[in-house]
Amino acid sequence: MPEEIDTKNKKTENKREPNYWKGFKEIYNDPEFSKKVNEDLTESKPKDANGMSRRKFLAFVGASAALAGAACTDYRDKGEIIPYNKMPEEISLGKPNFYASTCTLCPNSCGILIRTREGRPIKVDGNPEHPVSKGKICVKGQASILDLYDPDRLKGPLRKSKTGIFLKTPWLAANKTFITALDNADKQIAVITHQINSVTTKKLLGEFTKKYPNTKIYSYELFDNTIRNNAWKKSYGTDFYPIIKWDKAKVIVALQSDFLGTEGNRVENARLFAEGRDVDKVKNFNRLYSVEADMSLTGSNADYRLKLKPELQYNFVMSLLNEINRKTNIKIPINVSKFSLKSFAKKYSLDAKKVEFLVNDLIENSGKSIVYAGRSLPEKTHIAVNLLNEILGNTKLYNRKTSNYSVAGLSTYGDFYKLITDMKNGGVSVVIHFDSNPVYHLPDNMGYKKALKKVETVATLTESANESSEVSNFVFATNNQLESWGDAKTRTGFYSLQQPVIAPLYNTRQKEAVILQWVKGLNSKFKENLYHKYLMDNWRATIYPTLNSEIEFKRFWYGILNDGVVLKNEKIKSFGKFKNSSLSGLTTSPVKPNGFTVVIKESYALGDGRQANNGWLQELPNSLAQITWDNYAAISKKTAKKLQVQNNDNIKVDTGSGEKVYPVFIQPGAADNTVTIDSGYGRTKVGRVGEGAGFRISGLMSGKPTFSPWIYTNVKVARAEGTYTVVTDQEHHVFEKKPTENIFKKRGILFEGTVAEYEKDHKFLKNEREEERIVTPAIYPRHPELYKDVKWGMAIDLNKCLACGDCVIACNSENNVPIVGKDQIGRGRRMQWIRIDRYYSVSYDEPIISTQPMLCQQCDDAPCENVCPVAATTHSEDGLNQMIYNRCVGTRYCANNCPYKVRRFNFYNYRDRFKDGFQEEQLFDLIYNPEVTVRSNGVMEKCTFCIQRIMEEKAEAIREKRKIIGENVKVACQVACPTSAIKFGDINAKKSKFVKYRNHELGYYVLEEVNTKPNVTYIAKLRNTHTEES
Amino acid sequence: MKKSFLDYVLKVRLPITIFVVIAAFAITYYVSRAERDGLGYSPDQPINFSHKLHAGEMQIDCQYCHTEVEKSREAMVPAVSTCMNCHTIARTDKPEIKKLKKYYDEGIAIPWKRIHRVPDFVYFNHSVHVTSGIDCTSCHGDVRNMDKITQVKSFTMSSCLTCHRNPKEEVPYLKELKKGPENCWTCHR
Repeated sequence: MPEEIDTKNKKTENKREPNYWKGFKEIYNDPEFSKKVNEDLTESKPKDANGMSRRKFLAFVGASAALAGAACTDYRDKGEIIPYNKMPEEISLGKPNFYASTCTLCPNSCGILIRTREGRPIKVDGNPEHPVSKGKICVKGQASILDLYDPDRLKGPLRKSKTGIFLKTPWLAANKTFITALDNADKQIAVITHQINSVTTKKLLGEFTKKYPNTKIYSYELFDNTIRNNAWKKSYGTDFYPIIKWDKAKVIVALQSDFLGTEGNRVENARLFAEGRDVDKVKNFNRLYSVEADMSLTGSNADYRLKLKPELQYNFVMSLLNEINRKTNIKIPINVSKFSLKSFAKKYSLDAKKVEFLVNDLIENSGKSIVYAGRSLPEKTHIAVNLLNEILGNTKLYNRKTSNYSVAGLSTYGDFYKLITDMKNGGVSVVIHFDSNPVYHLPDNMGYKKALKKVETVATLTESANESSEVSNFVFATNNQLESWGDAKTRTGFYSLQQPVIAPLYNTRQKEAVILQWVKGLNSKFKENLYHKYLMDNWRATIYPTLNSEIEFKRFWYGILNDGVVLKNEKIKSFGKFKNSSLSGLTTSPVKPNGFTVVIKESYALGDGRQANNGWLQELPNSLAQITWDNYAAISKKTAKKLQVQNNDNIKVDTGSGEKVYPVFIQPGAADNTVTIDSGYGRTKVGRVGEGAGFRISGLMSGKPTFSPWIYTNVKVARAEGTYTVVTDQEHHVFEKKPTENIFKKRGILFEGTVAEYEKDHKFLKNEREEERIVTPAIYPRHPELYKDVKWGMAIDLNKCLACGDCVIACNSENNVPIVGKDQIGRGRRMQWIRIDRYYSVSYDEPIISTQPMLCQQCDDAPCENVCPVAATTHSEDGLNQMIYNRCVGTRYCANNCPYKVRRFNFYNYRDRFKDGFQEEQLFDLIYNPEVTVRSNGVMEKCTFCIQRIMEEKAEAIREKRKIIGENVKVACQVACPTSAIKFGDINAKKSKFVKYRNHELGYYVLEEVNTKPNVTYIAKLRNTHTEES
Repeated sequence: MKKSFLDYVLKVRLPITIFVVIAAFAITYYVSRAERDGLGYSPDQPINFSHKLHAGEMQIDCQYCHTEVEKSREAMVPAVSTCMNCHTIARTDKPEIKKLKKYYDEGIAIPWKRIHRVPDFVYFNHSVHVTSGIDCTSCHGDVRNMDKITQVKSFTMSSCLTCHRNPKEEVPYLKELKKGPENCWTCHR
């Protein structure tokens, strides 16, 4: 029972011996859970074995025909070799080419490096030359390759007929009618776009406005930094909140901010943050406090976490100011006497000890600490935080060399209200959705969709059909970002370039080219290079002269395309002292919370929902709840009790614009009376993959928010009829043990310590491990002849791992891992080769979270090998546990015998099964990595340590007649890891950097007692907590 | 005791039948081995390209056409444009060259019949073998004397392993050559 564990934990807390548990059912000792444990891996019968679908029948007929045909053909026929007719210069068969470009899926515009094989893009990584993202890229960027080959993309322009059906139409005809509509437009022409980062696109829209002077441009993002920037402008006078030097911070206080997960450029934030988590510079360890209502990625990585409803953050900051004033006598230019930190902490049951630590840390580390308010908090909280940072001298951590840059600003909700009123009054002739989806994104209560009906001509430029294209008269199919030209400027100091890596797969055109065609009129014939030329001309005329380059333009242009970025010397506007005048709007008495609060959070995987048809992202488990394919209402246990709901029960949420129903998921560590819901789900018009995944949030949002556009207070929440099953991975692969037995520690799955412990005794973990060591006899006899030459190994630094899941998507892409679908995830049949395990410990209300990437450990004594009846899994002399697909007969003995549960079985041919052959569409053939076999049903598979990359290094070594260099191999997850937590190399290369990690004092093997001798070392996590506590 | 018909069937006819079936299978299996491995396979090609003429008599280097063989997994069958390097001028009056020109002009790739093939789950790498000094002829036979390409060596896993295990016997001209790797992931992944 839960209470028992809580008390047990209290006893053991001092000894730093937390009980780890994985899921809720485990905690409740649910009979269903134990049943599930027993069923794990035993279930194998396909549910639909009896029914024969039309598809199966046709396959059967086809197979019979093929068999009959095969009997008559020449079996010696080996097919054909079809070489190129004219050899493309840059292609070398069997070797990848890399192209630098820019990702345009969110306002961050990170640099990407696209790997192509024989002319088709197969993987997206970060561009190492890019000054911000530095070779790393988030999950959305990595998964964008799947968007390119999405069979549900629009295949050409469409026109709505009078009966309301979309008809295919040629570009010329569509453009002709639409240009006529533009020419005849006597009222406003509204262009609605996402944030524009491209200088050239802005110029183009300017030309469009010149040609059609009635044009107005509106731009929006579902999540933006407007509030933070506005507060900054009031406090300091410059336009943008500065970039934070996270790497220099000793103490970080995140207030309702997920800066490691979704806010700002999280790839950069994560990298800089992790620089302060280097086990070799343990003196420089930073300390992260997170004060939040939801359970975010940042909160899960915090050393101290406090639960607080977002509307109380203001009181909290003011109380901090008061307390700092009390302790240090620093003058505060605003009256904070009514805010007492002590009574605040008591009133909202914050741990007094933690709060005291926080205040003392801020004072002690003034100038080296940063308080960071989340973008969804209201302006006055931001101003108070700015003041707090100012009086602590933390302005030193503001980057004064480079700052954000905005090519074009965003419109406000007020602008959109004005537009909607105009639309309703018939004051708008044409609406153009420029790759935006306002029908889905804008708050429902603004009435945008309804107002759109009053507009005569609506055109949507989009890659695939969406809610906005559905209500349009014209749909212009646009190119994917990997088929497009462009540029971007998000910061001072550099421009970044976007270039296509493949010709348009369908009859689509780049969105800018479509507009350009309208501007130029139909007299000029459309050419594929229309926008390319425009972009080059713009660069030659406006940007090239400002860069003072000595190289002639053509060569300069090829150079910057090669690099993907071009640097520019730019000075930024300096900002002075804090302006006390900004404090005038701040209330001097505490705000009171009332009722429920709804927090709308940017979905970690799906973002604002643009990529809802992306199966990799849908199937990426949420790093904490481990839920796939859905969003949900996350509430605390107490709140669930109050509402009398359990997991999967529906609740209705009413923020003032009608009831909306969401399934409940009880999230340990969530603040009471707070409901957190992710964005990006519940797309109504989307391809086959995103159909029916999750619930919309636009119904909760309001165009006139009282608190903040993403946080709603005083919300009515009640139990609703029915249930909805969300599937979670967290209860997969669990042990049949009670959590009270504390197996996760005892069996050596997780070891953790504190910085103080480590500083006192570098060998503390080793000693601890020795103490508890159970030595099992080795499974196999010694083979001294093995592992003489190279031996591959991996080390994962848990201090740096933030559980972001970038590695999962990178692995999917590199190793041709299929999408399996929600039903299969529900049955525990995920296929991802690397997973992020998440463990809670200490208590339900204020849990400590531990995460651990888990992949094949490539054990020296692999228990999977001796049970294989057909020797399909064997060991190589370089220490790899080999899995041979063409030998496997699918007994699944190996998976059963694997202590780490990292083997994945193809219960079906998922390519065929998922969404009725979705992944077998011909287009999908192009996405596969040709160096990795595409597995079919009945075959076991697992992490291979990217054997294809190892073999490439081996081949390179043979070709160059040298020895293999371990560190030349960069495995896919390692390349993707934004914090470089994953290291890979040759264990026998004694002098290499990698070996330092392999033999680190903090290194341990998971499940050491089994004596499998794994080749993956985990560096134990050190929590930077205070010594008094431990 | 009188022998029944059943006895006769069980003791004489059945063993004979089984023997005949097994023998027939075994003989067919061994006799057809070569054919099943593709030995002697020599189909007609869309263009009667002669390696004997080009590589043998005219002594054009293999790598003039198979450019990637030292660099990449694939040896690469040349693009039509490679042929046209010479044949825009040379022998343009010959019927086969006219055919070639037609392919080139129309932009159609030539559907050469594949002769040497390893299954899809085998990731054979040309470059590592060629840069180790193994001659093309060791696997592909004496191409320089073939008018029409014929498969002369078997491309089964056992033939790969024979060479990996006994390089001294199989490629005697390379005295220094060490044994090839035998672990599965060398070829399968």
